Amino acid sequence: MLLQIIKRELRRLTSRKIYIFMMLIVPVGFTFFFLNLMGEGLPLKIPVGVVDLDRTSLSRKVCRSLNASELIDITADAESFHDAIEKVKGGEIYGFFYIPSDFQKKAIGGETPTLSFYSNMTIFVPGSLSFKGFKTIAVSTSGGIVKTTLVGMGANEQTVGAMLQPVVIRSHPLNNPWLNYAIYLSPSFIPCLLALIVLLMTVFSICQENKTGTSVEWLRMARGNMAVALAGKLLPQTVIFTSVGVAMQAVMFGFLGFPLNCHPLNMIFAMLLLVMACQAFATFIAEMLPNLRIAMSIVSLTGILCFSIAGFSFPVEKMYGGVAIFSYLVPIRYYFLIYIDQALNGIPLYYSRFYYIALLAFLLLPALGLRRLAKRLENPVYVP
Amino acid sequence: MNWIKRLFRVWRRETRLVFTDIGVLLFFFGLPIAYPIVYTLIYNPEVVKKMDTVVVDNSRSAESRELVRELGATQSINVIGYASDINEAKRAWHEKKCYGVIEIPADYARKLGRGEQAVASFYCDMSLLLRYRQYLFSITDVQMNETLRITSQRLSQGGLITSTIEGLPVNSQANFLGDVTQGFASFVMPGIVVLILQQSMLLGITMIAGTSRDRRRRNGGVDPLDYNAGPLATVLGKSLCYMMVYIPLAYYILEIIPYMFALPHVGTFWNFMPVVFVFLLATTFLGQTLQIFVRERESSLLVIVFTSVVFLFLSGLTWPRYAFNKFWYMISELIPSTLGMEALIRINSNGSTISHLGHYYWGLWALTGLYFVTAVALRYFAQGRRSQGDAVVPVSESHPDNECQRREGAEMGEI
Repeated sequence: MLLQIIKRELRRLTSRKIYIFMMLIVPVGFTFFFLNLMGEGLPLKIPVGVVDLDRTSLSRKVCRSLNASELIDITADAESFHDAIEKVKGGEIYGFFYIPSDFQKKAIGGETPTLSFYSNMTIFVPGSLSFKGFKTIAVSTSGGIVKTTLVGMGANEQTVGAMLQPVVIRSHPLNNPWLNYAIYLSPSFIPCLLALIVLLMTVFSICQENKTGTSVEWLRMARGNMAVALAGKLLPQTVIFTSVGVAMQAVMFGFLGFPLNCHPLNMIFAMLLLVMACQAFATFIAEMLPNLRIAMSIVSLTGILCFSIAGFSFPVEKMYGGVAIFSYLVPIRYYFLIYIDQALNGIPLYYSRFYYIALLAFLLLPALGLRRLAKRLENPVYVP
Repeated sequence: MNWIKRLFRVWRRETRLVFTDIGVLLFFFGLPIAYPIVYTLIYNPEVVKKMDTVVVDNSRSAESRELVRELGATQSINVIGYASDINEAKRAWHEKKCYGVIEIPADYARKLGRGEQAVASFYCDMSLLLRYRQYLFSITDVQMNETLRITSQRLSQGGLITSTIEGLPVNSQANFLGDVTQGFASFVMPGIVVLILQQSMLLGITMIAGTSRDRRRRNGGVDPLDYNAGPLATVLGKSLCYMMVYIPLAYYILEIIPYMFALPHVGTFWNFMPVVFVFLLATTFLGQTLQIFVRERESSLLVIVFTSVVFLFLSGLTWPRYAFNKFWYMISELIPSTLGMEALIRINSNGSTISHLGHYYWGLWALTGLYFVTAVALRYFAQGRRSQGDAVVPVSESHPDNECQRREGAEMGEI
């Protein structure tokens, strides 16, 4: 009985191009796109400008050290402050360094000149990175001058170093010391896209039966048992989606060597649970609203919101309470937490136990509406 | 004259289709009205403040306590307590009680007293870069303040140099342009709304097309609600309808939303207008081009929804476009939202005007031209093929207006 339905489902999946397109081509293509796009890990060489009004040996030295920084790349020599601002507004550069006209005179005369730098925070990453690059240069320029003065006065270099920086707080970014963007974004965004597709395809394949009226045949094959009918329909998809998901993980953790500080099975199991939890979630939606369009709209709206609400970029504990609670209603949040604990931080499995349990709990959801769905499928009516 | 009349008829028919289809209305109105609010609510806390942090103080001295006090007083650090050793701190991190650990070595005070360099360590959870960035800002600040304080103390005590040098000989001053608060919603929203405009319109347009195909399938190859007006008039008439719906929505999204949530908003609507107009126009034609991929009403969702994520990353909002390789850069130039976003966020946050953004503006016109040609060509071929098919199926050979009206009534009743 179950086998027959599985066979029927496999025939359906291969009968329309849209299934193959959505279940294989899109996830695989997206993985390639995403990882290829961020292949470098950090967007170095940010186009920035310099306004050098001083034009002395000291200011040129500052320019040279700016140019040597790997973070920024001086692509524009601006004539004036105004010129530089115009270039920022046109999107040509993401920030600029400003050296005032009496810089060298003041610096040597001990009058404390001011180096200023401007970063365009309209786009976050280049804004922050150019800020970092500028600040490093400004501070090291300043330190360099003091050092030269002090050494000239007869202090030894080590003492000078300690004197200039008596306190150092060394930062240790755990498990991603390179601050690599691909490592930070891919292991959450790529599975989240897969989750979105699982949600869409599950609803599509169930409600499609209703639209075309084939649901009667489907239910008959299961002898009216909704649970068996659903199992037969969804199992082949589970296998396909999980394989795709594991392939995604293999590319990231295996081929590209992203941090995987746990046993691979922990992540593979999490992927299987994610796929099944998403299928269960979508099935539940289809049971509650057995209309192809409405159910599809609901899952695509939630699926897209998952990218934000699951807290991949903004921490959930800092969101408004009433908003943050929705984060825990979507399966991808738990997969993300498992990924953080297991693959990224490699902490004992014990600490992630609840996340696995939560994913398992999603599997109970469809049980709530089996009869409702069965009733609807027995008398298929298509409402556009 | 006749042509304009036909164009007007297409527009009227399309407008009726839009306003009688609850599914399309959801995309055309529900989505652009609700999503900006939902997204802003998610990100509205803007800045991550007071992250829970654990201290391991092996020095237990007045100096180390001073350092902890300073760190705890910063915007991003909230010291939740002391751990007796690094293992206890680790446990707190594993249990997600904290996201950062400060470890002060046993010789901290001794080194400071001897005039050597004292090194403390800060360990940060890297699940979110935003947390690390926020921590780093505060820690750098504290380090600089401490440096200044201790250096001036030492200089005055040591008598190495007299007071000719106070602090550092060169000041540096950081200035932020655009999103000066550096809040997350302020950064994300001006870009996201552009994508919402584009994606909701694409969803709506492809759904209309899919529904028409469904009708055609049910009615033996004829869509009773289709108005036959030739490819050019059809494409333009439909675009007119979509523009009519979206220009007010663009006003809401680009003017009212920033006011509601106090997001950065420098540009005026008249500055936005030319870019918004051509961006929306390009999108209407892109939508009419993408129609060929949609075979039924609901598959519009399948085809369009996932592209939102792709387009988001192609827009350069997360990963800047100058770091793309040539291939992706070229692809990204083909998406209206990429150019629209680049231009509109700069108008919105930097106060740019159209004269700064010529590249994006004319790029959008080029896209408008490109997708207009593809949309008209596709419609031309589709109509050609259909009229060939009509010759075979005699039922649909001719459909006078009155018959069309009758069928239409039946169709509407069914909906």
